[in-house]
Amino acid sequence: MADDYLKLCKQFIKEEKYREAFAQLRLAQVNDDFARLHRHARLFKSIPKNSLELTPIKIAMVATSTVDHFVDIFRFWLSLQGFAAEIYVTEFNTMDQAILNPASELYTFQPDIVWIFTNSRDIHIDLVYGSSQEGVETCLQENVERFKTLWTTLKQHSSAYIIQNNAEIPLERVFGNYEGSVAWGKINILRQFNVQLAQAILPGVTVFDMDYVSSVYGKRTWFDERYWYHSKHAFAFDAVGLVASEAARLVSAIKGRAKKCLVLDLDNTLWGGIIGDDGLEGIVLGDGANGEAYVDFQKYLKRLKDRGVILTVCSKNDESNAKSAFLEHPEMVLKLEDIALFTANWKNKVDNIQDIAATLDIGLESMVFVDDNPAERDLVKKYLPMVSVPDMPEDPSWFMRTLDAQQYFETVTFSGEDQKRSDMYRDNLERKTLQTQYTDLTDYLKSLQMCATVSPFDAMYQSRIAQLLNKSNQFHLTTTRYTEAQIKDMMADENIIGRYFKLKDRFGDNGLISVVILQKQNEHDLFIDTWLMSCRVLARGMEDFVQNEIVAIAKKHHCQRILGQYIPTKKNQLVADHYKKFGYIMTEENQGTTLWALDITNDVPSRETFIENESKELV
Amino acid sequence: MSEKKQEINKRLTQVFHDVFDDEDIQIFDEMSAKDLEEWDSLMHITLVVATEKKFGVQLNAAEVGQLKNVGEMIELLMKRT
Repeated sequence: MADDYLKLCKQFIKEEKYREAFAQLRLAQVNDDFARLHRHARLFKSIPKNSLELTPIKIAMVATSTVDHFVDIFRFWLSLQGFAAEIYVTEFNTMDQAILNPASELYTFQPDIVWIFTNSRDIHIDLVYGSSQEGVETCLQENVERFKTLWTTLKQHSSAYIIQNNAEIPLERVFGNYEGSVAWGKINILRQFNVQLAQAILPGVTVFDMDYVSSVYGKRTWFDERYWYHSKHAFAFDAVGLVASEAARLVSAIKGRAKKCLVLDLDNTLWGGIIGDDGLEGIVLGDGANGEAYVDFQKYLKRLKDRGVILTVCSKNDESNAKSAFLEHPEMVLKLEDIALFTANWKNKVDNIQDIAATLDIGLESMVFVDDNPAERDLVKKYLPMVSVPDMPEDPSWFMRTLDAQQYFETVTFSGEDQKRSDMYRDNLERKTLQTQYTDLTDYLKSLQMCATVSPFDAMYQSRIAQLLNKSNQFHLTTTRYTEAQIKDMMADENIIGRYFKLKDRFGDNGLISVVILQKQNEHDLFIDTWLMSCRVLARGMEDFVQNEIVAIAKKHHCQRILGQYIPTKKNQLVADHYKKFGYIMTEENQGTTLWALDITNDVPSRETFIENESKELV
Repeated sequence: MSEKKQEINKRLTQVFHDVFDDEDIQIFDEMSAKDLEEWDSLMHITLVVATEKKFGVQLNAAEVGQLKNVGEMIELLMKRT
């Protein structure tokens, strides 16, 4: 079991490093079982409250079942939402007395929130089988009225916000499937009760959808009658994490702390593939299993936008390439007008996200960052811990569910204003130009633990090299397209030096990501015929690593100059200044095509990278 | 002590360590709630739930209430595993 972090947490507590201890506890999972979450809760309890920046909140639970086991875990889960909760539980089964008596302890506690924690056993159904519709209505009315009276009374004596459980539909059906066919069947009575409870809701009251939560958990295991008979526990012990996390989100929403804004990556997040390399026709969207999944994910995002969530884009891309999908791809559900702020550039995402927050004037803590790339996610988690970053799965089939399950955008109200919010932000925007580089990425690059290898072209990789040569568009200085047969010929040509580069980091193997083809033009000059790199590894120092390698090769061949060429296309603007950055001098320009030279007769200082070279010594 | 009982004893000790978050606890047959300060009714339920999980058994409602000490727990687990 992966409980290393709990041990680490305990160690931190011993050393009085409370923030570090708390950071470990954040790794708790909703699906962790009771005993495990219990350990989290106990460790949290031993961290002094004032050592963490949590907002105090008082919550009273008025429960008709045993919740003692739940309270500590709920308090822990509330801490993950930023609250230091004091939780008061009324005496077992004294719901009516506690609420109706203005002098009860419930009111002296002065709660901010009162959670009326009922279960379906509290709904009194006293109907004869085959009852008339009138009988059904009376039964429902009586039950709903009972709760309405409790809310009204509570509101008279307290300003607390009220959370009311609805009824979790039980498993048993004395009439079997037929219960679904008649209004008087118990299952249908409870369903109607849930609808009528919602219709009766008052301002300052919200429903905790216990029926939904129990369904998500799975009713066969949700109900554990043994512990009802033994000690009046109304739901399975192992469901505590789910109930606590859902409720903590709801508390967050009541306190106005729900998320407001989604920051979306594009390539392999909104569609499959890389728009800059694969082109408009090449991206996966619409057709095929993955194509459909991306469309559905976009539809889900569009629904979020329509309910008031602000959508923004943050992509490492050429802006016009990135926008072309929105403007021209027939299967795109999201349009440019759905996006409040569109950021496509080659800066790091930490800077871009801060830029977006500043431009929209919203807090980082109200943002959610969605990206398929674990390295980008990790970077944001590390430098902007207040931004929420869901761990997106590799398979786009699960994108929608993964994002939805987090319930970032929980709310207790909805108004016409919400619907217009995203458009409002877009319309009012005046893009501020924030050029500041906020983040020193050295630590991050080090933490990636990158290792690269460089190898001469070989039979094993010749087809992959040809594939990359023909597919890459953005980081491809000359856009040369060679066939596999041509690559093979190059291997036999002693004036041609081909190298391919592979890169690994702690997230895994990125595979073959860069290719250079060098040509000895004469005794003195080494010409870079081809230099390409996958944009997935951009801004990690890989281009510097390759440059160092080219210099080494040139020296080994006793060359005095390295010559480079840039041939502009619609897609490779990214590298227009590539040689300039590395100190090459422009020697010629002709219709946009530029030639560059680097004198290496004097020592060229090696460029700093944080990539370990794992290659064998090359001849 | 039979081999089976030893094995159960070992695994049950692990449960106690996890639940009370204390690696120093040594269990014995007569050990009950009065021997551990933190062993209240809530911890009792936690112990039982954690034990069920560790041994892959489901105790019935009546059994949950009857377990007075460690020895009874082990006896029950001897029967059920």
